[in-house]
Amino acid sequence: MAESFLLKYVREADQGDLDAYVARGGYEGLRRALGMAPEQVIDEVEQSGLRGRGGAGFGTGRKWKFLPKDPAVTKYLVVNADEGEPGTFKDRTLLEGDPHRLLEGIAIASYAIGAHQAFIYLRREFHRARAVLERALAQAYAKRYLGQDVQGSGYGLEVVVATGAGAYIAGEETALLESLEGRRAMPRLKPPFYPAVKGLYMQPTALNNVETLCHVAWILARGAAWYREQGMPILFSVSGHVQRPGVYELPLGTPIRQVIEAAGGMRPGRAFKACFPGGSSSAILPPPYLDTPMDYDLTKVDVYGSMLGSAAVIVMDDTTCMVEVVARTVEFYREESCGKCTPCREGTVWMTQVLERILHGQGRAEDLELLNGIAKGMTGTCFCPLGESVPPAIYSTMRFFRQEYEHHIRTGSCDVKAAVHAGAAR
Amino acid sequence: MTVTLTIDGRTVTVPKGTTLWHAAKAAGVDIPIFCYHDRMPPLGACRMCLVQVEKAPKLVTSCTLEAAESMVVHTTAPEVKAAQEGILEYLLINHPLDCPICDKGGECPLQDQTFRYGPGRSRYVEVKRDFAKPVSLGRVLVLDRERCILCWRCVRFGEIIAGDDALKGFERGFQTEVNTPFTMPVESKFIGNTIAICPVGALTARTYRFVARPWDNHRVSSVCTHCGVGCAVYFDVRGNAIMRTQARESPDVNDVWLCDLGFFGHGYVAHPDRLTQPLIRREGGLTPASWDEALDLVARKIAAARPGRTALLGGARMTNEDAYVAARVFRTAVSTTHLDCRLDARPGSPSLDVPWGMTTPIADLATRDAVVLVGCDLTEEYPVLWLRLKQAVDRGASVIALTPKALEIGRAVAHHLVYRHGEGAAVVAALAEARAGRPPGADVAGVAHGRIALAAQALGKASRPLVMIGKAALEGPDGAAMLEQVGALSEALGLPLSVLRGRGNVFGAAFAGLLPDTAPGGRPLEEMRADLERVWGEALPSGRGMSAPEIVEAAAAGDLDVLYVAGADPATDLPDRSRWTAARRGAPFVVVQDAFLTETAQGADVVLPALVIPEKDGTVSNIEGRVQAIEAAVAGPGEARADWQIMSALARRMGKMVAYSGWAEIADEMRSLIPELRTEAIVPLAPRAAAPAADARRPAGAGTVRPPDGSLTLIVGEALFDRGAMSARSGAIADLAGEPWALLHPEDAARVAVADGEPVVLTSRRGSVALRARLSTAILPGQVFVPRGYDAAPVSALVDAAEAVTHVRVAGL
Repeated sequence: MAESFLLKYVREADQGDLDAYVARGGYEGLRRALGMAPEQVIDEVEQSGLRGRGGAGFGTGRKWKFLPKDPAVTKYLVVNADEGEPGTFKDRTLLEGDPHRLLEGIAIASYAIGAHQAFIYLRREFHRARAVLERALAQAYAKRYLGQDVQGSGYGLEVVVATGAGAYIAGEETALLESLEGRRAMPRLKPPFYPAVKGLYMQPTALNNVETLCHVAWILARGAAWYREQGMPILFSVSGHVQRPGVYELPLGTPIRQVIEAAGGMRPGRAFKACFPGGSSSAILPPPYLDTPMDYDLTKVDVYGSMLGSAAVIVMDDTTCMVEVVARTVEFYREESCGKCTPCREGTVWMTQVLERILHGQGRAEDLELLNGIAKGMTGTCFCPLGESVPPAIYSTMRFFRQEYEHHIRTGSCDVKAAVHAGAAR
Repeated sequence: MTVTLTIDGRTVTVPKGTTLWHAAKAAGVDIPIFCYHDRMPPLGACRMCLVQVEKAPKLVTSCTLEAAESMVVHTTAPEVKAAQEGILEYLLINHPLDCPICDKGGECPLQDQTFRYGPGRSRYVEVKRDFAKPVSLGRVLVLDRERCILCWRCVRFGEIIAGDDALKGFERGFQTEVNTPFTMPVESKFIGNTIAICPVGALTARTYRFVARPWDNHRVSSVCTHCGVGCAVYFDVRGNAIMRTQARESPDVNDVWLCDLGFFGHGYVAHPDRLTQPLIRREGGLTPASWDEALDLVARKIAAARPGRTALLGGARMTNEDAYVAARVFRTAVSTTHLDCRLDARPGSPSLDVPWGMTTPIADLATRDAVVLVGCDLTEEYPVLWLRLKQAVDRGASVIALTPKALEIGRAVAHHLVYRHGEGAAVVAALAEARAGRPPGADVAGVAHGRIALAAQALGKASRPLVMIGKAALEGPDGAAMLEQVGALSEALGLPLSVLRGRGNVFGAAFAGLLPDTAPGGRPLEEMRADLERVWGEALPSGRGMSAPEIVEAAAAGDLDVLYVAGADPATDLPDRSRWTAARRGAPFVVVQDAFLTETAQGADVVLPALVIPEKDGTVSNIEGRVQAIEAAVAGPGEARADWQIMSALARRMGKMVAYSGWAEIADEMRSLIPELRTEAIVPLAPRAAAPAADARRPAGAGTVRPPDGSLTLIVGEALFDRGAMSARSGAIADLAGEPWALLHPEDAARVAVADGEPVVLTSRRGSVALRARLSTAILPGQVFVPRGYDAAPVSALVDAAEAVTHVRVAGL
């Protein structure tokens, strides 16, 4: 395996510091980019094969090419640092551990698209990241890596940190723009409001994830060819019933089993039961899928809603009640639905009510059909991906763990919990 | 460019850019929908309008997708049917289904669409969401959060149409609710529209809650005559009472909107204070009399009056036909030249020299790229015009507002030049100079010179500018200079000046001839004398006619024998209250023809009960000169009569036949004199001779008048919601108006130790008035703003019309 680079320095004590960053070759990528034409920078990123690390996996270079080239048009770069997908914590690790990498990536991306103003939309709860970022920003401005005249190139860039107000939906790119403009975070209609055409303040806007921009900094520093040789590493946020939950840098396509092994494997004496491969918005996969490669082709697996997403692997062992997992997951979406569209707003609350009833021993035989029906009513009918994120967990658990639902409904109790308790008693 | 597509097997061709929903409508295919309102851009939130498009991976919302060439669309496919049923089931899981007691029942889109597209039964067995209800959001708006389906129409109305952000979404997901911050009373002049466009019974009006079922109402077309914009309305009538006012679609005037004065200002019609029989002063008191007694007495007095010593004041409450007959009867049977409907002009006001009204169609406002608004508080005076102006602003137009009080639409005003009262003309002059390339070197009348220069720049860039002058400019101390400067600016831009002046149907009254020396249609009387004498069969008296302020002064001087006041309340309308006191004292015989025992009527010798607009058939004219038809919604109370009938009966008693079978015959006669007259069209007043030179008696431009020793300069202005004869008797409007108030700058308030909401007494040389203080930086320091229209605390009691500027002292109570 190639060297780990994204996480290489995040645990260094001095990593918020500009001098240390520069001493390790930092801002070389920016310097190199400034010596290139913006289109060349975009080409280099496109050649690297980098795809957005926010979850949708769109080609980064291609995305930038959608923005108009006309220098008279005001363009913006907006960094999506509103990391909120349950189980995802890689961006926070980068923000807190390698802030200059992000700033370098921002400067390179802004230069490439011709933006002179960039916004970092930071999740409100990331207080530590905010402090680290602000210190890094001050340093970068002082040493002219940002500001009026970046490194004497004549190119100017202002970077502003803005925080959200605690809504998951603000991670959706158009809702983020609404929030950044000072309104209630609700997604915009696409079309016509594709950010690359009509984004922030109705100007063409590139929206990139934190990890994506850190990749960009490395790509420009070492070149697209080098980057490809590294096996396209990405960051996995591994959580749940593993021995060492955390962020792991592994090549794209690493099978689920190896990702879990990298995180220390399952807890002693426990067996893998299921996992969300790509955050709570993805389907739940049972053991037969353990050798499936974690890459963008995860969507081609025969489970509705299976995807790489934000590469947040939430691992569950055999002590887990899947009905509880689904109830908790749907409850999250119920709380985070913005309320704009009917199916998401009403479907999540209804589903939660039914699941809670089942968990409280009040399930009815017809509830399984009903749950499936509510999920179907939300499938393909919601305004944005938030609502569409709910059915996969329902469908996949009803398919792979139907007997757990049935047991709850039939007996009013949980066989998984009972087994765990019995085991503990033994 | 068009595209041709197939919807449910029907081929339809629509312009490129048409959404599927509209294309379906054009093809005669109904698609259910809640969130979309055709005056606002599509939202795609309710998901009710999902359709199937061949080759699309999933269903799409027809309100958001543009029709494309060769598209094949299905709106009744099983998948679509399932989605529609699913969405309706979702919408109803938390809906209380209290249709039997819901005001919306019977005209409810949720009810109708559930009936037509719903699943018929619900699988929902859980406990419904429970909100405390109803929630009162101010004087008229009532919110039921359980009924709300969160279509966002009301919120978007405030953002997109009215620009007042009156209602917003709070909380998230299933807990989302439409509300105001902290459930404070809603701040809007247009909130009635949100009730009208609410697709469920979530927003209701206190004035209509549990009052009627829609199927019991019948709708009568009329026109709102409160402010002069002339919005088309329906009065929903049950029995002989107006249940509510609704907007009637009129693309050229109000589109589909109204202001809240229009929505809730009909209460006066059925008020028990309405006059139901004539009154005659006997032994000091007004006592009931028969029409015969009253008219005989009036006829006798008029017949006994010496030539030229009878005058008519008023007309703004009448229809065009009423005013025409009044003008005919007074010019012929009564034989006077003194008639005028413009009561609220101050003596020597320059507004008496110009025709009132807009010179461009209302709808045209939306297409202007720069609008100079001088001395008009648009949302207080002509609220619905603001909705048009907002459209222009949204398209990038610059509004340049020069006013003595900052406008509440300030957020949309790019160049807001708030001047010191009495010095506005200097600011207009500086703006014109700056436009000509000579920006001011110093601040003018409290306005920063840089801002004047910027405003001039914006004006310079405009290709379709518009200049409008309002009452605050014309009736201000430097009114003459204002008119001159604004007129010059308008002329320099090659535009006819729009005069935003006049309320009610004053435009119709002027059009029908209730102006001195002016014939019906607005031509000089002398030009039309022969025609009029032919049609009316009478010789018309000669001699110059007096304007309203002159009539009042003549009465005060004892130069009149009979003063006839029709549909006006000079005791409260005149800017200087003392002038009416003097006029009443000086006039031996005063007749008042009105709907209420107004202050003027209380002092009259004969009072004749008249009908009000919703009780009449005929036509009215609005601020742009549009003649619109109205139908009687209800019958008047008691023996009250239409103004034209009273005038006709009076003429008969004076031995002249001025008889008509009805309003249509009057209108026909008017048309014979005014060939351009057509209903539902703009009929501009004929151009009059150039305005006479400035009246010598007019107070000179105030220059820089500094108030003496700590007193404040009084600015008298307009408020949409006030407590006049009609508004005080329309409960909701009186409530919205609240107590009479005075606007003080915080610095001035601090000097006299008055806090916001505290009572204050304003005292001038003339008198004093107790008001409630409102603190605001909307005016410059050293001034106090008081709205007129509160009859119980008339600001006119402070004013001496002989003075250019009124100074008042303010003290806490």
